[in-house]
Amino acid sequence: MSASVQNVQIQLDAPVPAGEAPEILEEKISIRNLEFFYGDSRALKKIDLPLYSRKVTAFIGPSGCGKSTLLRVLNRMYDLYPGQRATGEVMLDGENLLSPSVDINLLRARVGMVFQKPTPFPMSIYENVAFGIRLYEDLPKNEIDARVESALRRAALWDEVKDKLGAAGQALSGGQQQRLCIARTVAVRPEVILFDEPCSALDPISTAKIEELIDELKRDYTIVIVTHNMQQAARVSDFTTFMYLGEVVEFGPTGTMFTAPTDRRTQDYITGRFG
Amino acid sequence: MASRGAIPILRQYGRRTLTQSLADPASIPGAPAPTDRRTARLNRLRAGDALFRRMTRAAALGVLLLLGGVIVSLLVGSTPAFLAFGPGFVTAEVWNPVTDQFGALAPIHGTLVTSAIAMLIAVPIGIMIAFFLTELCPMALRRPIGMAIELLAGVPSIIYGIWGLFVFAPFLQKYVQPLIIATFENVPLLSDLFAGPPYGIGVLTAGLILAIMVLPFVTAISRDVFDSVPPVMKEAAYGLGCTRWEVFRSVILPYTRVGVIGGVMLGLGRALGETMAVTFVIGNAHRISASVLAPGTTISASIANEFTEAVGDIYTSSLIALGLILFAITFAVLSAARLMLARLDRGKS
Amino acid sequence: MTGTDQLANPALYRRRARRNRLAVALAYAATAFGVGWIAVILAVLLYKGIGGLSLAVFTEMTPPPGAAGGLLNAIAGSAVMTLLAVLIGTPVGVLAGTYLSEFGKHDRVSAIVRFVNDILLSAPSVVVGLFVYEIMVAPMGHFSGYAGAVALAVIVIPVVVRTTEDMLNLVPDTMREAAASIGLPRSHMIVHIAYRAARAGIVTGILLAVARVSGETAPLLFTALNNQFWSMNMNGPMPSLPVVIFQFALSPFAEWQKLAWTGALIITVTVLGLSVLARSLTHRR
Repeated sequence: MSASVQNVQIQLDAPVPAGEAPEILEEKISIRNLEFFYGDSRALKKIDLPLYSRKVTAFIGPSGCGKSTLLRVLNRMYDLYPGQRATGEVMLDGENLLSPSVDINLLRARVGMVFQKPTPFPMSIYENVAFGIRLYEDLPKNEIDARVESALRRAALWDEVKDKLGAAGQALSGGQQQRLCIARTVAVRPEVILFDEPCSALDPISTAKIEELIDELKRDYTIVIVTHNMQQAARVSDFTTFMYLGEVVEFGPTGTMFTAPTDRRTQDYITGRFG
Repeated sequence: MASRGAIPILRQYGRRTLTQSLADPASIPGAPAPTDRRTARLNRLRAGDALFRRMTRAAALGVLLLLGGVIVSLLVGSTPAFLAFGPGFVTAEVWNPVTDQFGALAPIHGTLVTSAIAMLIAVPIGIMIAFFLTELCPMALRRPIGMAIELLAGVPSIIYGIWGLFVFAPFLQKYVQPLIIATFENVPLLSDLFAGPPYGIGVLTAGLILAIMVLPFVTAISRDVFDSVPPVMKEAAYGLGCTRWEVFRSVILPYTRVGVIGGVMLGLGRALGETMAVTFVIGNAHRISASVLAPGTTISASIANEFTEAVGDIYTSSLIALGLILFAITFAVLSAARLMLARLDRGKS
Repeated sequence: MTGTDQLANPALYRRRARRNRLAVALAYAATAFGVGWIAVILAVLLYKGIGGLSLAVFTEMTPPPGAAGGLLNAIAGSAVMTLLAVLIGTPVGVLAGTYLSEFGKHDRVSAIVRFVNDILLSAPSVVVGLFVYEIMVAPMGHFSGYAGAVALAVIVIPVVVRTTEDMLNLVPDTMREAAASIGLPRSHMIVHIAYRAARAGIVTGILLAVARVSGETAPLLFTALNNQFWSMNMNGPMPSLPVVIFQFALSPFAEWQKLAWTGALIITVTVLGLSVLARSLTHRR
């Protein structure tokens, strides 16, 4: 990950070396003037934020700062609950995903999500992954098999489960379950993957595996991760957003954020003075 | 604001490629299948979603329709009786199929008296069992005893009926009723209430069987609400040096009063509507006696006994009118019970 | 233990302790009383019923007075009507419960439906019999197995609605979110994920409904009526075990009374077996 941050740094202060193509950041998602309400209380205030294609953006901040809320706006998960609403614009490839005309299921197929606690469906490992594929595509059995295998490989789980695909998803260990959920998400071929504190329920070894995986996945996907673990943010992300009391306090390349934050509050949080 | 400072710098690099990526979904590796096929499928899914939602809603409204249907059909069916006898139907004691004269007072009286006897016995005993189960019972016995009580609730009422007729009523007739009659023979008022002869079957027997049937309901609900008392409350009282009974009396009972009353009303609803067990043992006599040892009838027993044999519109309609009255009474009792239990649930959360 | 002599008012303390002992003794007595009844009832049932239990009970028809016979037609009639009632009641109940838990959790309609369903859950079953008599038997002009099954279905529905809603409420929201996050439409999420996660609970509800229905007598008295012979014609009067018990028990014939006891034993064992099975299903989870 540090390589890409260095790239940005290079671009920031030096001309691009000859022979190497300049890295162009594509804004996959642009959040503009976003506000979010739980009933009458405003949980997000005037958020403006870009999320770049094939980069990992981390949302950090103290509990209740709105980082998870912001994440759940990106696939409109809040739609499941009455009384929650968002205003403003969230452009995904130029389309406002907050617009009522957006097909919410298609949106979620494009913007996948991995949760805090592993959420395997009550079915076999194979079915957990194949389920989402079958929903949108009519494929012969052998192609589905291939897709399942490739998704499980992408999630670095294939070698551990290839002999027991018929076993219940819930029978796996916590770390394996989380990777199964990643495989399930990848299998639907999303463009963006949201991670909501994906390692908070996992042991350090499983955490390291998931982090490695995120680093792999960012080659193909736009990744957003919410974490309360600052080391994790520093390890996996290219960009970091520090949020506080429903606002974005600071956004920038992770390296800069952790070494030279411009805002006092960011500095306080990162150095552990509050949070 | 600091964020305003940070973002613009980066924005320079963020060259807009939105249209490009929109036009070329294949630029994402493993991108979704061709869009038009996907759209067709999505439309199908969406239609299925709406259909499913509508089906569940229809089923939910069907539940309302069921209640509406019950009320309307009873109203329609009872109209001839009410037209013939007017509101006096409710207060008349006469029940004469030969002259086509009917009044509901005797069954209503029997229903209320048997239920009252049942509640008088079942409520204190049920609450004491719940006290035992939540405060006194060793952990290992809690489940089996709780389960036994719940099983008692599952035994079909016809079983209580056959048992009551062949075992319980003869037992009462032989051993208990003569004793009661002898004991109260010379006590004013009570001598009327327990006037002989000992038939075995009768209002008291029906009430006692109802008590056994209602007991599990009262017990199960009381246990559940007692269990809902936060342990801290109890510990605080024990900490003051209260005995178990004092904790129960002064902390648990007041704390759960509404729930217990709700549970009692639920049991009462059962007792009022209970049919088969009562039909077996009450004696089916359309008259009001001062003595609880005399045979009587209840609304549900009258219907069960006479409905298929009722000839003539007025007779049938009178029985349906009895059903309407029973439904109105139980509806009121059950509504009160549910509202009380619902209030408790809201208070807890 | 500290002696009572240190207390300011030892008499009061002794009175409190005495009252406590009395209350505890009463609680034990009440429990013995409650558990005693189930023991007595089951013992009597076994004693009276087991003597008549023979193969003939399951292979022969209900006899005319004074002759020997079995309960085959009654058992078959009960089974058929119960099966049809479950077939009618389960889809309606599951769908309605789904609406309450998944779609209309907080809306007004649901609040009313929930309330009405709770009323129906404990409404007198004899009234259900009258209702079905009015809407089916009277218009059709005759008693029928269909009417009996519908009456039983009216009793099945509220039980299934209630357990379905309760069990779906136990499915964690994270499961729903996870399903939504891969673009699953609501209906797929419910059918393939939530139902599957709540399966044991829903089956429990259905089993409890069957247990409840298999002992019901009052709603069958004036819908299916009875039939002394083998009848699989659901458009005509149909025998059922509870109604046969009712008729035989109140008869003056010893053979009939004996069969009634045997039938009562069969029903009780079935009902208790179903309840225990239903409970063990949900407890294992």
